[in-house]
Amino acid sequence: MPAMPKTVSGIALRLLLLAGLALSLVSWAAPPAAEQRPSLLLSAMQQELQRATKELAKADPPPYFISYSVYDQQLIVLVGSQGSLMNAFSGSRRDADVRMRVGSSALDNTHGESRPSGLTSGALPIVDERDAIARVLWQLTDREYKRAAPAYLNVKTNAAVRTEEEDKSPDFSQETPLTKVEMGHASFPVDRPAWEEKVRRYSSYFRKYPEVYQSTVILQISQTKMYFTSSEGSALEGPGTLVRLIVQAETRADDGMELLRVESFQAATPDQLPGENEISAKIEKMAADLKALRAAPVAEPFDGPALLSGRAAAVFFHEVLGHRLEGHRQRDENEGQTFTKKVGQQVLPGFLTVVDDPTLEQLNGTPLGGHYDFDEEGVLANRVEIIQNGVLKNFLMSRMPIQNFGKSNGHGRAQPGLMPTGRQGNLIVSSTRTVPDAQLRWKLIEEIKKQGMTYGLYFEDVQGGFTLTGRALPQAFQVLPVIVWRVYADGRPDELVRGVDIVGTPLTALNRIALTGDTPQVFNGICGAESGSVPVSAAAPAMLFSELEVQKRAHSHTRPPILPPPGFESLSWGAPAKASPASEVRP
Amino acid sequence: MKSASRKASSLRAFAMGGLLLLLCAPLFAADEHAAGTQPAPQLKDVKEAVASDPLLQAMLAELKRSKAQLKMENVPAPYYIDYRVTQLEEYAAEAIFGALRNEQRLRVRLLRAVVRVGDYKQDSYFQQGQGMSDVMPLDDDPIALRHQLWLATDQAYKNADEALTAKQALLKQYTVEHPVDDFARAPALQFIGPLIRLDAATERWRDLLIAASALYRNYPQVESLDASLRFTALNQYFVNSEGSVTRDGQSLYQLNLTGAAQAPDGMRLERSPYTMVATSSELPTPEQFTAEATKMLETLVRLRLAPVVEEEYRGPVLFAPDAASDVIALLIGGNVVGRKPSPGAPARTTGPFSNSYKSRVLPAFVSIVDDPTLTTFQSHSLVGSYAVDDEGVKAAPVTVIDKGELVNYLLGRQPIRDFPASNGHGRAGPVGPAFPNVGNLIVRASETASPEELMRRMLEMCKEQGKPYGYLVETLGGRLAPRLLYRVWVNDGHMELVRGAVFNQLDTRTLRNNLIAVGNDPEVSNRPGSVPSTVISPSLLLDELEVRRADSAKEKLPDYPPPPLTARRTDR
Repeated sequence: MPAMPKTVSGIALRLLLLAGLALSLVSWAAPPAAEQRPSLLLSAMQQELQRATKELAKADPPPYFISYSVYDQQLIVLVGSQGSLMNAFSGSRRDADVRMRVGSSALDNTHGESRPSGLTSGALPIVDERDAIARVLWQLTDREYKRAAPAYLNVKTNAAVRTEEEDKSPDFSQETPLTKVEMGHASFPVDRPAWEEKVRRYSSYFRKYPEVYQSTVILQISQTKMYFTSSEGSALEGPGTLVRLIVQAETRADDGMELLRVESFQAATPDQLPGENEISAKIEKMAADLKALRAAPVAEPFDGPALLSGRAAAVFFHEVLGHRLEGHRQRDENEGQTFTKKVGQQVLPGFLTVVDDPTLEQLNGTPLGGHYDFDEEGVLANRVEIIQNGVLKNFLMSRMPIQNFGKSNGHGRAQPGLMPTGRQGNLIVSSTRTVPDAQLRWKLIEEIKKQGMTYGLYFEDVQGGFTLTGRALPQAFQVLPVIVWRVYADGRPDELVRGVDIVGTPLTALNRIALTGDTPQVFNGICGAESGSVPVSAAAPAMLFSELEVQKRAHSHTRPPILPPPGFESLSWGAPAKASPASEVRP
Repeated sequence: MKSASRKASSLRAFAMGGLLLLLCAPLFAADEHAAGTQPAPQLKDVKEAVASDPLLQAMLAELKRSKAQLKMENVPAPYYIDYRVTQLEEYAAEAIFGALRNEQRLRVRLLRAVVRVGDYKQDSYFQQGQGMSDVMPLDDDPIALRHQLWLATDQAYKNADEALTAKQALLKQYTVEHPVDDFARAPALQFIGPLIRLDAATERWRDLLIAASALYRNYPQVESLDASLRFTALNQYFVNSEGSVTRDGQSLYQLNLTGAAQAPDGMRLERSPYTMVATSSELPTPEQFTAEATKMLETLVRLRLAPVVEEEYRGPVLFAPDAASDVIALLIGGNVVGRKPSPGAPARTTGPFSNSYKSRVLPAFVSIVDDPTLTTFQSHSLVGSYAVDDEGVKAAPVTVIDKGELVNYLLGRQPIRDFPASNGHGRAGPVGPAFPNVGNLIVRASETASPEELMRRMLEMCKEQGKPYGYLVETLGGRLAPRLLYRVWVNDGHMELVRGAVFNQLDTRTLRNNLIAVGNDPEVSNRPGSVPSTVISPSLLLDELEVRRADSAKEKLPDYPPPPLTARRTDR
């Protein structure tokens, strides 16, 4: 199920999976003269690919397409908690994906459920030894051919005996091969001891807060270089970096509800991460939030006016809209296909426009995690206007064509080892019906009064969300808010509540948006779906909904820790959390 | 060499200390008066070690606090708590086709915390009640260390409460014929061994892997060649609420070679010899390692062209010590551990020997002993050695099979029927629960013969039965499938390598009924696994075993040839 879990839990090994690739900082406008000679790795890949193409042309059935992708990754992961390092990892790896298509672009081995037969992965040597690289690629290619060829015969038989599919698009789009070898930014040095010290120090700030039971600071520095070559003649080389600092803190209410706060910071280099003052302030805020949340009442199910902060609205759009506009879902007959037949129709209020633009590196100074220059199928990243003034225009396309959309628009994304599908990069929602952010609260109160209700909800921050897009289950989505306020119509102070999830069905929810704020906010996260975990961004202004439904969140009933944490042995512990007067007025 | 002597001296100290280390008073109660009744040097050692070890201090501090205060309303307080912290330092590298593919250094501390609610008779050790695992801080910061212990203890206690309820509900469904306690009492043990560090020349070994894996260039018929290593230093800390405090270390040095080829008929052929030793000084020399790789490649080349075995053979088979140790490990080692069956099951243990207590399971001339206190055999280090097991119980030799009769089981602190106490065989992987396990499993025989004599006996039997040849098994792969198998011809005694064979019914019954002689050539087989162990076995001669052609599909040969090699190995 597509999801956008921003939560990354403790152990660094798990991070290896999330360390994917965010290709950044390559200027495609560079003049051809700036191109450099391909590296030994790329030239070894090209040479072996040519040999494979020529040799396998004699096989029956022959492949009509082969590509090699290699992800060369230098990874550092530092994990700290309570002032100590918990894990410190650094390493390099090179993962190779061999993709092959047997048959023809009209019908090939990757058709339908046989899609995984299009790829075989393995680890390459991490040093530039031509013979060893060529030999591992040969083994992977031979293995892949032995999967792809029988799969194609299977697909052909199935196509003959099954009823016609609704979408008769071919299996692979025609694209112009790309040749671009960019050295881009040189890789940056990392002062590991200094960062270990910082991770220790940041994590030690939580030692002041006995009510924060679990806290982790994770620094993840991934310098990835992607190499791509295909039998169509593409040859690409591009560097990318992903630097993320993730701070995670957890507590538990007396009724057992887990309460979580996560803050993440993203930058192109470790030095561009926010300074210590900003981070310590964030940590203090997280601790204060958690303390307040422990004491906050549990919200009741509600259906009424609501205000979503920009970050909350961004996650809402990523889940509710973005995943449903991924190209491959429009031809998969197990999918709900909410929007498949709605091209040219009004699907959102007319004041909203949605684009997905992976070519953007930042938005108003905030780095965007979903930036890349070419996708995992070697197609140039493109800005795609998916919804213009509320009217559906386009989908997020990989090289899997769908009816009326025969070409990729550079959104074929995957984590190494998985077949790419249409995915989001930087999803950006903009609006023409705006009010200054400062007026949003009053607009919410107006709406509450208009509907004759006592209160509405303000969703200040979210930790992520998920959605179901399949046909077999209801077309539902859930956004997981962490900071939610009740805003009263009678002028009472706002009241913090906990334990609510936003729920609903896409078409209804999207058309309850009344107006928006004027400043976009960015949510950077890791998105998981069929093609794996990829870094994404979503940006949107705050949004006022005339109606939004929330449900009670399921939670554990495990009590908070019985004894106070070490260092607080004399603290009076276990007394029920008292509701502190939440008199804040927001936003 | 260094770690060897350290290990040896620590064990000597342990041996000299003998019973004196078995302090009965829990450490918390072991005040100066109690200390006065014990010989001073030993207790001082432990106290000194604790005083200079922040990790042990943190473990003891949190244990003391939990023992005194951990209690939920309407739930009994824990009657037992233990913490096991494994500090793991590891260097791993791998080279393929003459190029480095992976190199990693790892340093991690792992915790397992067990909290038991109930009593020794019936407690919460069941399902989620078997303990909590987590990572521990790498820094010796008391608050950070204790914080993780605090969280794990709290969760383990809550899980224990739920587990006990679930267990009691489950047991209501059964009539228990022979009630057995859930947890064995064990004397408190205080033992401090030296801390172990890795001391191998890692860069030199990495270069050797690269050089060995480059040998594929001389063997065009070999499809893949991979050389890897894993050097590990483990220091384990254990404390429990009964007063045990132990710390001990172990190093493991492992080298692996993996080669694969395909016979012209498509049959996949693999070889994966490895070396595993407890001290870096025992690692092979570069020349020995290269020779080992060359030998593996040569046998792969020979295997490709070796004949496939005939459809069926039923007759004598001789197992060389390497192959014999695999047979002993699986058929004896796997079955002499005293694992309590699931609640309600009437058997004594699990597996083929679950009801074989006091029955004959091997011929009367064979005995099997497990002795973790043995540190070397014929000057080879034994990776199954330890002084204290993973439940804080002192290691001890155990005769499990005496003159063919099953007389005992290897036991941890989980009792089984008629065996109420641990015999120091409770072992665990770094974060796993403790289970009874093999340490150093040794085959002993009252009559032995030289390998030549065994071969002569096999050929004689073949002759009597009118068979043109018998079988010699040199090495086995997974599931006891032969890797290096020879026909030994009766007429002139020559050995012919064959491929594509499996054994039919190589099981405990066959071992009991068909083992007719053992060699005087015992060899050490150090075996990796989440719990390292050693098997020491001589050659074994079976008078009858069925050797059959393997029923495995033959894969297609590569669809196109491998890439040509460039003139120079490095082309930068």
